[in-house]
Amino acid sequence: MTARNILALGAMSLLVLGTGSALAQQKTLTISVYGIAQDAYKAALYDPFEAQCGCKVVVESGTASERLAKLEVNASAPAVDVIAFSDANALEAANKGLLAPIDPAKVPNLADIYDFAKDPLGNKMGVGYTFYGTSIVYRSDLVKIESWLDLFKPELAGQVALPNITGTQGPITLFMLQKAIGKDDPKFADAIDLVAEHKNDVVTFYNSGSQLTQLLQQEEVIASVTGRFSWPSLMKLDMPIAWAAPKEGQTGGMNVLALVKGAKDPELAHQFINYWLSAEVQQKLAEGLVDSPVNTKVTLPEDKAEGLTYGAESAKAINFLPPAQQLENRDAWLSGWNSKVAN
Amino acid sequence: MFANRRLGILLLAPATLFVLVGFIIPVLILLAGAFRTGDAWSFANYTAFFSQPLNREVFLRTFRLGLIVTAVSAVLGYGVAMAVVEAGPKSKGRLVALLVLPLMISPVARTYAWLVILGRTGFVNVALTSIGLTDAPLRILFTETAVFIGLIQLFFPLMVLPLISSLENMPRDVVPAARVLGASWFAVFFKVILPLTREGLVVGGTLVFVGSLTAYVTPAILGGSKVLMLETLLYQRVSVANDFASAAVIAVILIVMSILTNILLKRLASVRRRR
Amino acid sequence: MRFAGNTLLTLVLIFLIGPFVIICIAGLSGGETLAFPPQGLSLRWVQRVFEIESFRSAFWLSISLAIGSTLLALILGIPAAYALDRYNPPMAETIRNIVTAPIIVPGIIVGLALLRHLVVPLGIPITLALIIGHTALLVPYAVRVVSASLINLRTDVEEAAVMLGATRLQSFFKVVLPNIRSGILAAFIIGFITSFNQVPISLFLTGPGITTLPIGMMFYMEFNFDPSVAALSGLLAIMSLAIVMLAEKLLGLSRYV
Repeated sequence: MTARNILALGAMSLLVLGTGSALAQQKTLTISVYGIAQDAYKAALYDPFEAQCGCKVVVESGTASERLAKLEVNASAPAVDVIAFSDANALEAANKGLLAPIDPAKVPNLADIYDFAKDPLGNKMGVGYTFYGTSIVYRSDLVKIESWLDLFKPELAGQVALPNITGTQGPITLFMLQKAIGKDDPKFADAIDLVAEHKNDVVTFYNSGSQLTQLLQQEEVIASVTGRFSWPSLMKLDMPIAWAAPKEGQTGGMNVLALVKGAKDPELAHQFINYWLSAEVQQKLAEGLVDSPVNTKVTLPEDKAEGLTYGAESAKAINFLPPAQQLENRDAWLSGWNSKVAN
Repeated sequence: MFANRRLGILLLAPATLFVLVGFIIPVLILLAGAFRTGDAWSFANYTAFFSQPLNREVFLRTFRLGLIVTAVSAVLGYGVAMAVVEAGPKSKGRLVALLVLPLMISPVARTYAWLVILGRTGFVNVALTSIGLTDAPLRILFTETAVFIGLIQLFFPLMVLPLISSLENMPRDVVPAARVLGASWFAVFFKVILPLTREGLVVGGTLVFVGSLTAYVTPAILGGSKVLMLETLLYQRVSVANDFASAAVIAVILIVMSILTNILLKRLASVRRRR
Repeated sequence: MRFAGNTLLTLVLIFLIGPFVIICIAGLSGGETLAFPPQGLSLRWVQRVFEIESFRSAFWLSISLAIGSTLLALILGIPAAYALDRYNPPMAETIRNIVTAPIIVPGIIVGLALLRHLVVPLGIPITLALIIGHTALLVPYAVRVVSASLINLRTDVEEAAVMLGATRLQSFFKVVLPNIRSGILAAFIIGFITSFNQVPISLFLTGPGITTLPIGMMFYMEFNFDPSVAALSGLLAIMSLAIVMLAEKLLGLSRYV
């Protein structure tokens, strides 16, 4: 290899790397979302929006806590314009001053969405784009589930997984366990003690929906807790998996879209939020069993509605754990969990 | 040796400056953060870190797994290295290529394969139950055993390669000579082979031990949230909680442990040589 | 004894290589989810790998990053190794320690340090940080491998060239470089593979639309449980096999052991 060759190769590789930044000259919108079902979002949301706005949508995906940590680190020069979060994560981001209020005048589709989704965090810091129920999924051929406490039945020992405390599903699982125990304690001390007592019976505390799919498919576990958003991939498994209706009811959550403070193009960001809430997009996402719609104009046939948490009635039946309460008590849950369960 | 020292400095400057600015300074700033609480220098972060039972457990587990992985790969490594050397120069090239191959393959791909093999309905359990060794499938995934298996596969080549080269550098006739003199295989190994290949063992041991301490992908995928190791704990502290103080403490622990291992094992090797 | 040794060797090789065979087969599954043995054989997931855009862009990023940072590390490392070996620079030991330091610092710390104390305060782009991190990691390899081949090259050849009227620079390019060619090639291969497979350094250095392939695979796995990651793993394993065979053919890898 001569010096000239080395230089030429070096220049070439710099060129290759440089093309990335050349593309950035075009108008871009950077969004940060959960990594689930990205193909469906691309077809129903990103591609049509790109065609409409003549811009490029750049997607960052990952779990909520990872993306929140990144948002905070990059606060002085945000890389993201619009972010999709759980309501509690979004409220935390808002409290840390990482979000900017959404201007309702620029989001006309707000008129069509359920009231509870219009301003769930207060101060216009976010708008709900979907909500879901969370319950126990189990192998109906192997076990019967009627209560949240059934997770710790002896026949499930060594065959049950729970969501990790660091995610969204972990705290709401504790919420329902505490409710099932029947003692009122916002710090969930009894629920944490219960999990700690059975921690050796729990296979793992999973971090993401696909991990749960894998656990069920490989028969590592026969019961666990998850949100309705995992249901389509669980149905694909072709196993007798059932969605429990525990006597204490279901819990659940809402996901919101928020505007990042210092977004490069707030105008475009509003346009995108508005488009995501439109009946057209919400209908497509609902039909793909990706997200339960918040837009009241979406109508679903029975078979599709069954796979989702559909309609205002089902939203009312869910025991939501208010985001403010989550933020207030999270440190207590985490320290209780770390000292009793995690080690 | 050439006399022009100025030219020498000029040639060294780019690499040195690059590593200093792009690497050493940021890392030092990060490590310094482990000794800061508020505006003062202190060890408070350490006491806070080790006062958590979870952190202590993770520290001990990381250390324990590192030692076990190193010991097991050393034992297996000697056996394999001897077999490779005995196989003769012709097959050696092919065997070494096979042994090196896993090192070249993405650790994500490597670890992912174990997910399929070690599961409850995976290859190992199906085989075990079908030949009747176990009634119920064994739980292997998400245990220390799974992490151990993954780490052994990941780092075994790093142990066996230095062993092969030091076995080759050993004088050919010492082993037959010792045998003729009536030494048992056991004695031959501990009195002849081990001292003469000590250096290879030290190099391999350092690579495997430090590698196991600082592995990320294997414990992340095969251990999950119940088998945290220092590196996965560090990632979790940062990515879930923005807890940079704990992250810096873990960083210091990891670096000190790997530098100490390097120094300690180098000493061991060179003491032997001088005698 | 010999028999026992060969049995052990065979078992260990099965342990080391077997998983890749299994992952390749699992990637050829016709079913919806990852399983072994696979439910029917098909190429659908292999095909799927090429359709997933995040894999495609991550692949190209990883390739350019691996080539770019290896070349940069060689450009920095070759002169440094040459100077350390041929000139007797002041503080040679200290400098050798500095340029080989990156090898002993766990990658995750490097990534975090670069993010916190280079990317954020100076506002440099993530891609640049990735190049810096990967290059820093590779400089020690470049210095070590090139040093090793320089030691075997006698200095009097260069002296002869200089006496015959070549400048130092000419003698370096005409005499030294061709003679350490295989060392450089070896360093390039090691560097390329190290960078291409690197996870911990890149873990914190990802941004919207900027993800290296191994990180992209881990993120994809978090949300999708289908055989496409197995198919991709199989493809990567085959690619590595090709590189190892090429390296063995060109250089005789076993000579470096």
